[in-house]
Amino acid sequence: MPAENHRPFQCPVVRGRFGVRGGLARAGALVAAGLVSLGLGGCATKAADPAAQADMDDANDPLEPTNRFFYRVSDSIDAYTLRPVAKGYVWLVPQPVRTGVHNVLGNLASPAVFFNDVFEGKPRRAGDTFVRFVVNSTVGVAGVFDVAKGWGYKAHEADGGMTLAQWGVPQGPYLFLPLLGPSSPRALTGFGMDIALVPLNYVPRGYGLITLNWGLYGMNIIDSRAQVLGDLDQIKRDSLDPYATLRSLYRQHRAAEIEAMRNDHRATVPDWYSR
Amino acid sequence: MRHLRFRRAAAILLAGTGLAALSPVLQPVLAPAGLAPVRAAAAQGADATSFVRSLGDRLVSVVNSDSSTAEKKTQIQPLIDQNVDVDGIGRFCLGRFWRTATPAQQQRYLALFHKVLVNSITGKLGEYRGVTFQVGQAHDQDGKTMVPTVINRPNQPSATVEWVVGDVAGGRRITDVVAEGVSLSLTQRSDYASFLQRHGNNVDTLLNALDRQVSRQAT
Repeated sequence: MPAENHRPFQCPVVRGRFGVRGGLARAGALVAAGLVSLGLGGCATKAADPAAQADMDDANDPLEPTNRFFYRVSDSIDAYTLRPVAKGYVWLVPQPVRTGVHNVLGNLASPAVFFNDVFEGKPRRAGDTFVRFVVNSTVGVAGVFDVAKGWGYKAHEADGGMTLAQWGVPQGPYLFLPLLGPSSPRALTGFGMDIALVPLNYVPRGYGLITLNWGLYGMNIIDSRAQVLGDLDQIKRDSLDPYATLRSLYRQHRAAEIEAMRNDHRATVPDWYSR
Repeated sequence: MRHLRFRRAAAILLAGTGLAALSPVLQPVLAPAGLAPVRAAAAQGADATSFVRSLGDRLVSVVNSDSSTAEKKTQIQPLIDQNVDVDGIGRFCLGRFWRTATPAQQQRYLALFHKVLVNSITGKLGEYRGVTFQVGQAHDQDGKTMVPTVINRPNQPSATVEWVVGDVAGGRRITDVVAEGVSLSLTQRSDYASFLQRHGNNVDTLLNALDRQVSRQAT
């Protein structure tokens, strides 16, 4: 990707205004770093060499110091909590059951996928998701078996971030967020939109529902972590700078998903007509 | 601007009146001059497909054999060296530092890179038995020939992997691998670039790190 084609997020110059040295200022800086996300805190310094600057523009990671801080924190927390739990889950639960759990969670997420398909203006994708939801919820026994896949309705990715991309919202700088991991302002906004699209969030509150919801959150986290168990271990083993590798992987994968969505030009006319 | 808008409007109108349905009929009439290159490209594509299929068959037969991981590695190494443009990928991954590196550094780097690549491929496939793959139709993208495959590993979701095939020094070679939309060489390049940036742009530091990585994986 040529660097000159996209304008990277410009790091606001704050050094002059926040240059006061002292305990209070430093404490303030710490708080700022903690709240960051869209922060003015840790900006990467500008490179003198134009070639080095081109590399930095490609990475488009002006908040790198802060992002790296959150990456280290998440990584150490993960090593003692999520990773062992995910490993235990894989060890304890046989593959077919794990696949069933994964399918159920995916099925519960499909209303949000459906709405995003519609917002993206992709009727055939929305149709796929609709058929998947209906077929898998019934024939697939509450989503345990992905029957629709065998019938030619394969799963695809759709979320708020992709919808915003389709609407022309730029991705913005790279973010590594605590708990959520690799992200961007666009993906984060989309994540917020998706929460509003989960039907379960609109059912009147009750003790049972709260328990169910937290159970689902927990299962979702364990399932997602277990899905990438081997891959993440390999990234950390094989790369010299896992943070940068993860950043590149996330960006490329995201771009490919959006590209696949954009290139899905299947017509909505029935087969007998177009033939 | 107005001109553009007019063309878009015209296109919409044409599509609306059903004239677009004629385009498959019109195309051969309108573009006879373009036919020959299309046919040549198709032949090249078929060639690339069979190249990927034969390489894939040999790789999978090694991976599925009962040999130990170390034995698999020694069997895979020549396959990679003969069929993958390792030097070209290596040069790309070092990016702007390739030019500033001394010939001795370049040589050491490429030697290490060969091992890194084999390790990364055996690492991705080595532990599995019963790997199968299907080869799809080759297609051209940005002037490169891409051959899509679907790799099935037991108890794992199947992966879509595209092989970029190019002509290097008169021979057919794999010039990049794109797995689920992620390019192997781009990822590796950003890994090295970031490492170098954080280590004073010193190529020797990178070489030592690669050395440590290779010897760690050899055990």
